Amino acid sequence: MIEVIMQYEWMQNAFYAGMIIGFISPLVGVYLVVRRMSLIADALSHVTLSGVAAGMLLQKELPLFYAVNPLYVGMVFSVTGSLFMEQIRRLYKTFEEIAIPIILSGGIGLGVVLISAADGFNVDIAGYLFGNILAVGRDELWLMAAIGVIVVLFVCIFYKEMFALSFDEDHAVLAGIPRKWINFLFIVMVALVIAASIRVVGILLVSALMTIPVAASLQFTNSFRQTLIWSVVFSQLAVFSGLFAAYYLDWASGGTIVLVSILILLIVLFVKKVMRMMKLGNLL
Amino acid sequence: MSEPVVEIKNLSYTYDQQKVLDGINLTVNQGEFLGIVGPNGSGKSTLVKCILGFLKPQQGSISVFGKPVGKQDGSRIGYVSQKANSFNSGFPATVKEVVASGLYGKLGLFRRMTKKHMEQVERAIAQVGLTSYKDHNIGKLSGGQQQRAFIARALVADPDLLVLDEPTVGIDAKTTEQFYGLLRRLHQEEGLTLIMVTHDIGAVSSVVDQVACLNRHLFYHGDPAGFEQRQQEILTLAYGHDLQVVSHYH
Repeated sequence: MIEVIMQYEWMQNAFYAGMIIGFISPLVGVYLVVRRMSLIADALSHVTLSGVAAGMLLQKELPLFYAVNPLYVGMVFSVTGSLFMEQIRRLYKTFEEIAIPIILSGGIGLGVVLISAADGFNVDIAGYLFGNILAVGRDELWLMAAIGVIVVLFVCIFYKEMFALSFDEDHAVLAGIPRKWINFLFIVMVALVIAASIRVVGILLVSALMTIPVAASLQFTNSFRQTLIWSVVFSQLAVFSGLFAAYYLDWASGGTIVLVSILILLIVLFVKKVMRMMKLGNLL
Repeated sequence: MSEPVVEIKNLSYTYDQQKVLDGINLTVNQGEFLGIVGPNGSGKSTLVKCILGFLKPQQGSISVFGKPVGKQDGSRIGYVSQKANSFNSGFPATVKEVVASGLYGKLGLFRRMTKKHMEQVERAIAQVGLTSYKDHNIGKLSGGQQQRAFIARALVADPDLLVLDEPTVGIDAKTTEQFYGLLRRLHQEEGLTLIMVTHDIGAVSSVVDQVACLNRHLFYHGDPAGFEQRQQEILTLAYGHDLQVVSHYH
Protein backbone atom coordinates (compact mmCIF):
# COMPACT_ATOMS: atom_id res chain seq x y z
CA MET A 1 0.00 0.00 0.00
CA ILE A 2 2.80 2.36 0.97
CA GLU A 3 4.67 1.56 -2.25
CA VAL A 4 1.67 2.54 -4.34
CA ILE A 5 1.39 5.87 -2.59
CA MET A 6 5.09 6.59 -2.52
CA GLN A 7 5.53 6.34 -6.28
CA TYR A 8 4.19 9.87 -6.65
CA GLU A 9 6.56 12.70 -5.81
CA TRP A 10 3.80 14.82 -4.28
CA MET A 11 2.86 11.97 -1.98
CA GLN A 12 6.50 11.52 -0.98
CA ASN A 13 6.69 15.23 -0.21
CA ALA A 14 3.52 14.95 1.84
CA PHE A 15 4.94 12.11 3.93
CA TYR A 16 8.26 13.78 4.59
CA ALA A 17 6.52 17.07 5.42
CA GLY A 18 4.16 15.26 7.77
CA MET A 19 7.04 13.48 9.45
CA ILE A 20 8.93 16.73 10.08
CA ILE A 21 5.92 18.69 11.33
CA GLY A 22 4.69 15.75 13.40
CA PHE A 23 8.08 15.73 15.10
CA ILE A 24 8.74 19.40 15.83
CA SER A 25 5.22 20.60 16.67
CA PRO A 26 4.83 18.61 19.91
CA LEU A 27 8.48 19.30 20.73
CA VAL A 28 7.81 23.02 21.18
CA GLY A 29 4.19 22.30 22.12
CA VAL A 30 5.18 20.54 25.35
CA TYR A 31 6.81 23.73 26.61
CA LEU A 32 3.87 25.87 25.50
CA VAL A 33 1.40 23.62 27.33
CA VAL A 34 3.29 23.30 30.62
CA ARG A 35 3.95 27.05 30.64
CA ARG A 36 0.24 27.68 29.96
CA MET A 37 1.01 29.46 26.72
CA SER A 38 -0.94 27.16 24.36
CA LEU A 39 -2.91 30.00 22.80
CA ILE A 40 0.23 31.84 21.72
CA ALA A 41 0.53 29.45 18.79
CA ASP A 42 -2.96 30.45 17.64
CA ALA A 43 -2.18 34.15 17.88
CA LEU A 44 1.06 33.77 15.93
CA SER A 45 -0.59 31.64 13.25
CA HIS A 46 -2.97 34.52 12.51
CA VAL A 47 -0.02 36.86 12.20
CA THR A 48 1.49 34.40 9.75
CA LEU A 49 -1.72 34.63 7.73
CA SER A 50 -1.25 38.37 7.36
CA GLY A 51 2.35 37.71 6.30
CA VAL A 52 1.24 35.19 3.69
CA ALA A 53 -1.34 37.71 2.41
CA ALA A 54 1.38 40.39 2.29
CA GLY A 55 3.59 37.98 0.37
CA MET A 56 0.86 37.31 -2.15
CA LEU A 57 0.20 41.01 -2.55
CA LEU A 58 3.90 41.67 -3.16
CA GLN A 59 3.97 38.82 -5.68
CA LYS A 60 1.05 40.37 -7.53
CA GLU A 61 2.21 43.99 -7.47
CA LEU A 62 6.01 43.82 -7.62
CA PRO A 63 7.74 41.67 -10.25
CA LEU A 64 10.78 41.51 -7.97
CA PHE A 65 8.85 39.35 -5.52
CA TYR A 66 7.36 37.09 -8.15
CA ALA A 67 9.58 34.16 -7.25
CA VAL A 68 9.37 34.67 -3.47
CA ASN A 69 7.19 32.10 -1.74
CA PRO A 70 4.58 33.94 0.39
CA LEU A 71 5.42 31.49 3.16
CA TYR A 72 8.78 33.25 3.65
CA VAL A 73 7.01 36.58 4.20
CA GLY A 74 4.65 34.74 6.55
CA MET A 75 7.65 33.50 8.49
CA VAL A 76 9.10 37.01 8.84
CA PHE A 77 5.72 38.28 10.09
CA SER A 78 5.40 35.40 12.54
CA VAL A 79 8.83 36.05 14.07
CA THR A 80 8.12 39.80 14.24
CA GLY A 81 4.74 39.04 15.85
CA SER A 82 6.47 36.89 18.46
CA LEU A 83 8.72 39.81 19.39
CA PHE A 84 5.71 42.10 19.80
CA MET A 85 4.08 39.43 21.92
CA GLU A 86 7.05 39.37 24.31
CA GLN A 87 6.94 43.17 24.56
CA ILE A 88 3.22 43.22 25.39
CA ARG A 89 3.67 40.41 27.91
CA ARG A 90 6.32 42.48 29.62
CA LEU A 91 4.13 45.61 29.61
CA TYR A 92 1.18 43.79 31.23
CA LYS A 93 2.99 41.56 33.68
CA THR A 94 -0.11 40.64 35.66
CA PHE A 95 -2.32 40.13 32.58
CA GLU A 96 0.11 38.33 30.32
CA GLU A 97 -2.66 36.61 28.36
CA ILE A 98 -3.88 39.98 27.08
CA ALA A 99 -1.07 39.80 24.52
CA ILE A 100 -2.87 36.90 22.81
CA PRO A 101 -6.11 38.64 21.71
CA ILE A 102 -4.18 41.77 20.75
CA ILE A 103 -1.76 39.91 18.48
CA LEU A 104 -4.43 37.51 17.21
CA SER A 105 -6.91 40.18 16.18
CA GLY A 106 -4.12 42.40 14.89
CA GLY A 107 -2.89 39.56 12.68
CA ILE A 108 -6.28 38.63 11.29
CA GLY A 109 -7.22 42.32 10.83
CA LEU A 110 -4.09 43.04 8.84
CA GLY A 111 -4.58 39.83 6.85
CA VAL A 112 -8.13 40.71 5.86
CA VAL A 113 -7.10 44.26 4.87
CA LEU A 114 -4.23 42.97 2.75
CA ILE A 115 -6.46 40.41 1.02
CA SER A 116 -9.06 43.06 0.24
CA ALA A 117 -6.35 45.50 -0.94
CA ALA A 118 -5.21 42.88 -3.42
CA ASP A 119 -8.82 42.55 -4.56
CA GLY A 120 -8.76 38.82 -3.91
CA PHE A 121 -6.06 36.41 -5.00
CA ASN A 122 -5.69 34.05 -7.89
CA VAL A 123 -3.94 31.60 -5.64
CA ASP A 124 -6.32 29.90 -3.30
CA ILE A 125 -5.78 31.29 0.20
CA ALA A 126 -7.86 28.43 1.56
CA GLY A 127 -4.78 26.23 1.15
CA TYR A 128 -3.10 28.33 3.83
CA LEU A 129 -6.18 28.58 6.02
CA PHE A 130 -6.95 24.86 6.18
CA GLY A 131 -3.68 23.33 5.02
CA ASN A 132 -3.02 21.09 2.06
CA ILE A 133 -0.18 18.73 2.68
CA LEU A 134 -0.58 17.23 -0.79
CA ALA A 135 0.43 20.55 -2.35
CA VAL A 136 3.78 20.80 -0.55
CA GLY A 137 6.55 21.44 -3.08
CA ARG A 138 10.19 20.35 -2.91
CA ASP A 139 11.40 23.88 -2.04
CA GLU A 140 8.94 24.07 0.83
CA LEU A 141 10.02 20.65 2.00
CA TRP A 142 13.62 21.87 2.21
CA LEU A 143 12.46 24.89 4.20
CA MET A 144 10.62 22.60 6.63
CA ALA A 145 13.66 20.36 6.95
CA ALA A 146 15.87 23.35 7.75
CA ILE A 147 13.41 24.58 10.39
CA GLY A 148 13.20 21.03 11.72
CA VAL A 149 16.95 20.85 12.22
CA ILE A 150 17.02 24.26 13.95
CA VAL A 151 14.19 23.33 16.34
CA VAL A 152 15.66 19.93 17.23
CA LEU A 153 19.04 21.56 17.88
CA PHE A 154 17.38 24.18 20.09
CA VAL A 155 15.58 21.54 22.18
CA CYS A 156 18.73 19.41 22.52
CA ILE A 157 20.97 22.30 23.48
CA PHE A 158 18.59 24.09 25.85
CA TYR A 159 16.74 21.08 27.26
CA LYS A 160 17.84 21.70 30.84
CA GLU A 161 17.41 25.48 30.73
CA MET A 162 13.94 25.18 29.19
CA PHE A 163 12.94 22.61 31.82
CA ALA A 164 14.15 24.80 34.69
CA LEU A 165 12.45 27.93 33.30
CA SER A 166 9.19 26.08 32.65
CA PHE A 167 9.06 24.44 36.07
CA ASP A 168 10.01 27.41 38.23
CA GLU A 169 11.11 30.63 36.58
CA ASP A 170 12.18 32.43 39.79
CA HIS A 171 14.40 29.60 40.86
CA ALA A 172 15.93 29.28 37.40
CA VAL A 173 16.74 32.99 37.28
CA LEU A 174 18.30 32.88 40.74
CA ALA A 175 20.48 29.97 39.62
CA GLY A 176 21.78 32.17 36.81
CA ILE A 177 19.87 30.83 33.80
CA PRO A 178 19.56 33.65 31.21
CA ARG A 179 15.76 33.85 31.12
CA LYS A 180 15.42 36.74 28.69
CA TRP A 181 17.27 35.42 25.74
CA ILE A 182 16.27 31.77 26.15
CA ASN A 183 12.61 32.85 26.26
CA PHE A 184 13.27 34.99 23.20
CA LEU A 185 14.88 32.11 21.28
CA PHE A 186 12.01 29.83 22.28
CA ILE A 187 9.31 32.16 20.98
CA VAL A 188 11.23 32.48 17.71
CA MET A 189 11.25 28.65 17.51
CA VAL A 190 7.47 28.66 17.99
CA ALA A 191 7.11 31.19 15.18
CA LEU A 192 9.28 29.06 12.89
CA VAL A 193 7.33 25.88 13.62
CA ILE A 194 4.07 27.67 12.88
CA ALA A 195 5.36 28.94 9.57
CA ALA A 196 6.56 25.44 8.69
CA SER A 197 3.36 23.66 9.66
CA ILE A 198 0.89 25.96 7.93
CA ARG A 199 1.08 23.92 4.71
CA VAL A 200 0.29 20.74 6.61
CA VAL A 201 -2.57 21.65 8.91
CA GLY A 202 -3.34 25.26 8.00
CA ILE A 203 -3.41 28.47 10.00
CA LEU A 204 -6.66 27.63 11.74
CA LEU A 205 -5.41 24.27 12.98
CA VAL A 206 -1.74 24.98 13.56
CA SER A 207 -1.90 24.80 17.32
CA ALA A 208 -3.59 21.38 17.22
CA LEU A 209 -0.43 19.34 16.69
CA MET A 210 1.34 21.44 19.30
CA THR A 211 -1.22 20.82 22.02
CA ILE A 212 -3.46 17.76 21.47
CA PRO A 213 -0.71 15.08 21.49
CA VAL A 214 0.72 16.76 24.61
CA ALA A 215 -2.70 16.74 26.26
CA ALA A 216 -2.96 13.00 25.56
CA SER A 217 0.46 12.15 26.98
CA LEU A 218 -0.05 14.33 30.08
CA GLN A 219 -2.82 11.89 31.04
CA PHE A 220 -0.44 9.10 31.95
CA THR A 221 3.17 10.23 32.06
CA ASN A 222 5.12 10.95 35.24
CA SER A 223 8.26 12.54 33.94
CA PHE A 224 8.96 15.40 31.58
CA ARG A 225 11.08 13.21 29.32
CA GLN A 226 8.27 10.67 28.95
CA THR A 227 5.81 13.44 28.15
CA LEU A 228 8.11 14.72 25.40
CA ILE A 229 8.57 11.26 23.86
CA TRP A 230 4.91 10.23 23.97
CA SER A 231 3.79 13.58 22.54
CA VAL A 232 6.01 13.00 19.52
CA VAL A 233 4.76 9.39 19.17
CA PHE A 234 1.10 10.46 19.25
CA SER A 235 1.73 13.31 16.86
CA GLN A 236 3.48 11.06 14.31
CA LEU A 237 0.67 8.54 14.63
CA ALA A 238 -1.91 11.27 13.98
CA VAL A 239 -0.04 12.64 10.96
CA PHE A 240 0.49 9.27 9.26
CA SER A 241 -2.90 7.70 9.93
CA GLY A 242 -4.56 11.03 9.16
CA LEU A 243 -2.73 11.24 5.87
CA PHE A 244 -3.72 7.70 4.89
CA ALA A 245 -7.33 8.30 5.85
CA ALA A 246 -7.42 11.58 3.93
CA TYR A 247 -5.98 9.88 0.84
CA TYR A 248 -8.42 6.98 0.80
CA LEU A 249 -11.52 8.84 1.94
CA ASP A 250 -10.69 11.94 -0.10
CA TRP A 251 -11.02 14.19 2.93
CA ALA A 252 -9.15 17.43 3.66
CA SER A 253 -5.72 16.37 4.97
CA GLY A 254 -5.28 19.05 7.68
CA GLY A 255 -8.69 18.48 9.21
CA THR A 256 -8.31 14.68 9.12
CA ILE A 257 -4.94 14.82 10.90
CA VAL A 258 -6.42 17.00 13.65
CA LEU A 259 -9.46 14.74 14.03
CA VAL A 260 -7.21 11.67 14.34
CA SER A 261 -5.16 13.37 17.06
CA ILE A 262 -8.38 14.11 18.95
CA LEU A 263 -9.40 10.47 18.47
CA ILE A 264 -6.08 9.42 20.05
CA LEU A 265 -6.76 11.73 22.99
CA LEU A 266 -10.23 10.18 23.45
CA ILE A 267 -8.77 6.66 23.31
CA VAL A 268 -6.17 7.57 25.95
CA LEU A 269 -8.89 9.03 28.21
CA PHE A 270 -11.04 5.93 27.68
CA VAL A 271 -8.20 3.47 28.43
CA LYS A 272 -7.30 5.44 31.54
CA LYS A 273 -10.88 5.30 32.76
CA VAL A 274 -11.16 1.56 32.10
CA MET A 275 -7.88 0.91 33.92
CA ARG A 276 -9.03 2.95 36.89
CA MET A 277 -12.30 1.02 37.03
CA MET A 278 -10.42 -2.29 36.86
CA LYS A 279 -8.16 -1.16 39.69
CA LEU A 280 -11.21 -0.23 41.77
CA GLY A 281 -12.78 -3.59 40.93
CA ASN A 282 -9.68 -5.42 42.16
CA LEU A 283 -9.76 -3.49 45.40
CA LEU A 284 -13.39 -4.35 46.11
CA MET B 1 35.22 36.15 64.00
CA SER B 2 33.29 34.43 61.22
CA GLU B 3 32.90 36.32 57.97
CA PRO B 4 29.55 37.90 57.09
CA VAL B 5 27.52 36.05 54.47
CA VAL B 6 24.83 38.71 54.16
CA GLU B 7 25.35 42.36 55.06
CA ILE B 8 22.40 44.72 54.89
CA LYS B 9 23.03 48.41 55.41
CA ASN B 10 20.36 51.07 55.87
CA LEU B 11 17.94 49.26 53.55
CA SER B 12 14.59 50.82 52.61
CA TYR B 13 12.02 49.48 50.18
CA THR B 14 8.91 51.28 48.96
CA TYR B 15 5.94 49.64 47.20
CA ASP B 16 3.60 52.14 45.55
CA GLN B 17 4.67 54.99 47.82
CA GLN B 18 4.31 52.80 50.90
CA LYS B 19 7.45 52.10 52.81
CA VAL B 20 7.54 48.41 53.72
CA LEU B 21 11.15 48.32 54.90
CA ASP B 22 12.76 51.26 56.63
CA GLY B 23 16.39 51.64 57.67
CA ILE B 24 17.16 47.94 58.10
CA ASN B 25 20.68 47.03 59.23
CA LEU B 26 21.30 43.31 59.54
CA THR B 27 24.29 40.99 59.29
CA VAL B 28 24.18 37.23 58.92
CA ASN B 29 27.48 35.52 59.69
CA GLN B 30 28.75 32.27 58.33
CA GLY B 31 27.22 29.23 60.01
CA GLU B 32 24.33 31.17 61.54
CA PHE B 33 20.68 30.16 61.36
CA LEU B 34 18.59 33.33 61.27
CA GLY B 35 14.84 33.24 61.74
CA ILE B 36 12.95 36.30 60.49
CA VAL B 37 9.58 36.78 62.20
CA GLY B 38 6.98 39.50 61.97
CA PRO B 39 3.25 40.03 61.28
CA ASN B 40 1.63 39.71 57.84
CA GLY B 41 2.74 42.48 55.52
CA SER B 42 5.70 43.32 57.74
CA GLY B 43 8.15 43.18 54.85
CA LYS B 44 9.67 39.76 55.67
CA SER B 45 9.26 38.36 52.18
CA THR B 46 10.29 41.69 50.65
CA LEU B 47 13.51 41.55 52.62
CA VAL B 48 14.21 38.02 51.37
CA LYS B 49 13.42 39.04 47.79
CA CYS B 50 15.89 41.90 48.11
CA ILE B 51 18.57 39.53 49.43
CA LEU B 52 17.95 37.19 46.49
CA GLY B 53 17.97 40.06 44.00
CA PHE B 54 14.34 39.63 42.82
CA LEU B 55 13.62 43.18 44.06
CA LYS B 56 15.86 46.23 43.87
CA PRO B 57 15.81 48.38 47.00
CA GLN B 58 15.47 52.16 46.52
CA GLN B 59 17.85 52.93 49.35
CA GLY B 60 20.69 51.21 51.15
CA SER B 61 22.84 48.28 50.14
CA ILE B 62 22.96 44.53 50.43
CA SER B 63 26.02 42.42 49.88
CA VAL B 64 26.03 38.64 49.78
CA PHE B 65 29.37 36.82 50.07
CA GLY B 66 31.06 40.23 50.02
CA LYS B 67 29.64 41.27 46.63
CA PRO B 68 26.61 43.40 45.75
CA VAL B 69 23.42 41.37 45.09
CA GLY B 70 23.34 39.89 41.60
CA LYS B 71 27.11 39.92 41.20
CA GLN B 72 27.77 36.63 43.00
CA ASP B 73 27.63 33.10 41.72
CA GLY B 74 23.91 32.25 41.98
CA SER B 75 24.57 28.60 42.69
CA ARG B 76 26.05 29.49 46.09
CA ILE B 77 22.53 30.45 47.22
CA GLY B 78 19.81 27.83 47.65
CA TYR B 79 16.24 29.08 47.75
CA VAL B 80 13.06 27.38 48.90
CA SER B 81 9.92 29.44 48.37
CA GLN B 82 6.38 29.04 49.66
CA LYS B 83 5.28 25.77 48.13
CA ALA B 84 1.89 26.92 46.93
CA ASN B 85 3.19 29.67 44.66
CA SER B 86 6.20 27.99 43.22
CA PHE B 87 4.86 25.44 40.77
CA ASN B 88 1.92 24.06 38.84
CA SER B 89 0.97 20.75 40.47
CA GLY B 90 0.02 19.22 37.13
CA PHE B 91 3.53 19.69 35.79
CA PRO B 92 4.88 16.44 34.36
CA ALA B 93 8.15 16.04 36.26
CA THR B 94 9.58 13.45 38.62
CA VAL B 95 11.32 14.26 41.91
CA LYS B 96 14.61 13.34 40.23
CA GLU B 97 14.04 15.75 37.34
CA VAL B 98 13.11 18.60 39.69
CA VAL B 99 16.09 18.03 41.98
CA ALA B 100 18.42 17.78 38.97
CA SER B 101 17.20 21.19 37.78
CA GLY B 102 18.91 22.64 40.86
CA LEU B 103 22.22 21.88 39.15
CA TYR B 104 21.44 23.43 35.77
CA GLY B 105 22.48 26.98 36.67
CA LYS B 106 25.81 25.84 38.09
CA LEU B 107 26.40 23.53 35.14
CA GLY B 108 26.02 26.38 32.66
CA LEU B 109 24.91 26.45 29.04
CA PHE B 110 25.99 23.80 26.53
CA ARG B 111 27.05 21.33 29.22
CA ARG B 112 25.32 18.04 29.82
CA MET B 113 24.60 16.15 33.03
CA THR B 114 27.21 13.47 33.68
CA LYS B 115 27.07 10.34 35.81
CA LYS B 116 28.77 12.27 38.60
CA HIS B 117 26.02 14.90 38.52
CA MET B 118 23.34 12.21 38.67
CA GLU B 119 25.05 10.74 41.75
CA GLN B 120 24.93 14.19 43.33
CA VAL B 121 21.19 14.29 42.58
CA GLU B 122 20.68 10.86 44.17
CA ARG B 123 22.62 11.99 47.25
CA ALA B 124 20.53 15.14 47.70
CA ILE B 125 17.34 13.07 47.38
CA ALA B 126 18.64 10.62 49.99
CA GLN B 127 19.57 13.52 52.28
CA VAL B 128 15.91 14.57 52.52
CA GLY B 129 14.70 10.97 52.73
CA LEU B 130 12.87 10.76 49.41
CA THR B 131 14.84 7.98 47.71
CA SER B 132 11.83 5.69 47.38
CA TYR B 133 9.88 8.52 45.74
CA LYS B 134 12.53 9.66 43.28
CA ASP B 135 10.64 8.50 40.17
CA HIS B 136 7.24 9.71 41.39
CA ASN B 137 5.52 12.70 39.85
CA ILE B 138 6.18 15.70 42.07
CA GLY B 139 2.56 16.91 41.92
CA LYS B 140 1.32 13.62 43.39
CA LEU B 141 3.40 13.86 46.58
CA SER B 142 2.15 15.31 49.88
CA GLY B 143 2.90 18.94 50.75
CA GLY B 144 5.67 17.95 53.15
CA GLN B 145 7.30 15.62 50.63
CA GLN B 146 7.16 18.31 47.95
CA GLN B 147 8.82 20.76 50.30
CA ARG B 148 11.57 18.22 51.00
CA ALA B 149 12.06 17.76 47.27
CA PHE B 150 12.51 21.53 46.93
CA ILE B 151 15.06 21.48 49.76
CA ALA B 152 16.91 18.75 47.84
CA ARG B 153 16.81 20.92 44.72
CA ALA B 154 18.33 23.76 46.72
CA LEU B 155 20.97 21.48 48.30
CA VAL B 156 22.07 19.64 45.19
CA ALA B 157 24.27 22.49 43.96
CA ASP B 158 26.00 22.48 47.36
CA PRO B 159 25.11 26.08 48.35
CA ASP B 160 26.76 28.05 51.11
CA LEU B 161 23.55 29.85 52.04
CA LEU B 162 20.03 28.45 52.16
CA VAL B 163 17.11 30.92 52.13
CA LEU B 164 13.63 29.65 53.03
CA ASP B 165 10.49 31.79 52.69
CA GLU B 166 7.73 30.44 54.95
CA PRO B 167 8.53 26.84 54.03
CA THR B 168 5.97 25.29 56.37
CA VAL B 169 2.84 27.11 55.18
CA GLY B 170 0.10 24.55 54.53
CA ILE B 171 2.01 21.65 56.08
CA ASP B 172 0.69 19.79 59.13
CA ALA B 173 2.33 20.06 62.56
CA LYS B 174 4.01 16.64 62.57
CA THR B 175 5.57 17.15 59.14
CA THR B 176 6.65 20.63 60.17
CA GLU B 177 8.50 19.15 63.16
CA GLN B 178 10.29 16.66 60.88
CA PHE B 179 11.10 19.49 58.54
CA TYR B 180 12.67 21.55 61.33
CA GLY B 181 14.66 18.45 62.30
CA LEU B 182 16.09 18.32 58.80
CA LEU B 183 17.01 22.03 58.91
CA ARG B 184 18.63 21.61 62.31
CA ARG B 185 20.74 18.74 60.98
CA LEU B 186 21.82 20.76 57.93
CA HIS B 187 22.79 23.63 60.20
CA GLN B 188 24.55 21.70 62.94
CA GLU B 189 26.14 18.86 61.00
CA GLU B 190 26.86 20.50 57.66
CA GLY B 191 27.47 24.01 59.00
CA LEU B 192 25.15 25.55 56.42
CA THR B 193 24.15 29.22 56.83
CA LEU B 194 20.35 29.51 56.83
CA ILE B 195 17.82 32.33 56.68
CA MET B 196 14.20 31.35 57.28
CA VAL B 197 11.18 33.61 57.14
CA THR B 198 8.35 32.25 59.27
CA HIS B 199 5.06 32.99 60.95
CA ASP B 200 5.80 30.42 63.57
CA ILE B 201 7.29 32.51 66.40
CA GLY B 202 7.19 29.63 68.87
CA ALA B 203 9.16 27.28 66.66
CA VAL B 204 11.78 29.80 65.74
CA SER B 205 13.40 29.82 69.15
CA SER B 206 13.77 26.05 69.11
CA VAL B 207 15.63 25.76 65.77
CA VAL B 208 17.39 29.03 65.01
CA ASP B 209 20.35 30.66 66.72
CA GLN B 210 19.52 34.23 65.70
CA VAL B 211 16.13 35.96 65.59
CA ALA B 212 15.19 39.09 63.67
CA CYS B 213 11.79 40.56 64.45
CA LEU B 214 10.58 42.80 61.68
CA ASN B 215 7.70 45.14 60.96
CA ARG B 216 8.94 47.80 58.58
CA HIS B 217 11.69 48.50 61.12
CA LEU B 218 13.90 45.91 62.73
CA PHE B 219 12.64 45.56 66.31
CA TYR B 220 14.98 42.89 67.54
CA HIS B 221 18.09 41.10 66.33
CA GLY B 222 19.89 38.74 68.63
CA ASP B 223 19.83 35.26 70.13
CA PRO B 224 16.59 33.41 70.86
CA ALA B 225 17.16 33.54 74.65
CA GLY B 226 17.17 37.33 74.60
CA PHE B 227 14.15 37.29 72.31
CA GLU B 228 12.22 35.03 74.67
CA GLN B 229 13.13 37.16 77.66
CA ARG B 230 11.83 40.35 76.08
CA GLN B 231 9.27 38.63 73.85
CA GLN B 232 6.12 40.41 75.07
CA GLU B 233 7.77 43.80 74.87
CA ILE B 234 9.22 43.22 71.38
CA LEU B 235 6.04 41.70 69.98
CA THR B 236 3.87 44.47 71.36
CA LEU B 237 6.15 46.96 69.67
CA ALA B 238 6.29 45.05 66.39
CA TYR B 239 2.72 43.74 66.20
CA GLY B 240 1.11 46.69 67.91
CA HIS B 241 -0.85 44.56 70.39
CA ASP B 242 -0.41 41.75 72.93
CA LEU B 243 0.18 38.37 71.42
CA GLN B 244 -0.16 34.84 72.69
CA VAL B 245 2.76 32.70 71.62
CA VAL B 246 2.46 28.92 71.44
CA SER B 247 5.71 27.33 72.50
CA HIS B 248 7.13 24.16 71.00
CA TYR B 249 8.83 21.78 73.38
CA HIS B 250 11.45 19.37 72.19
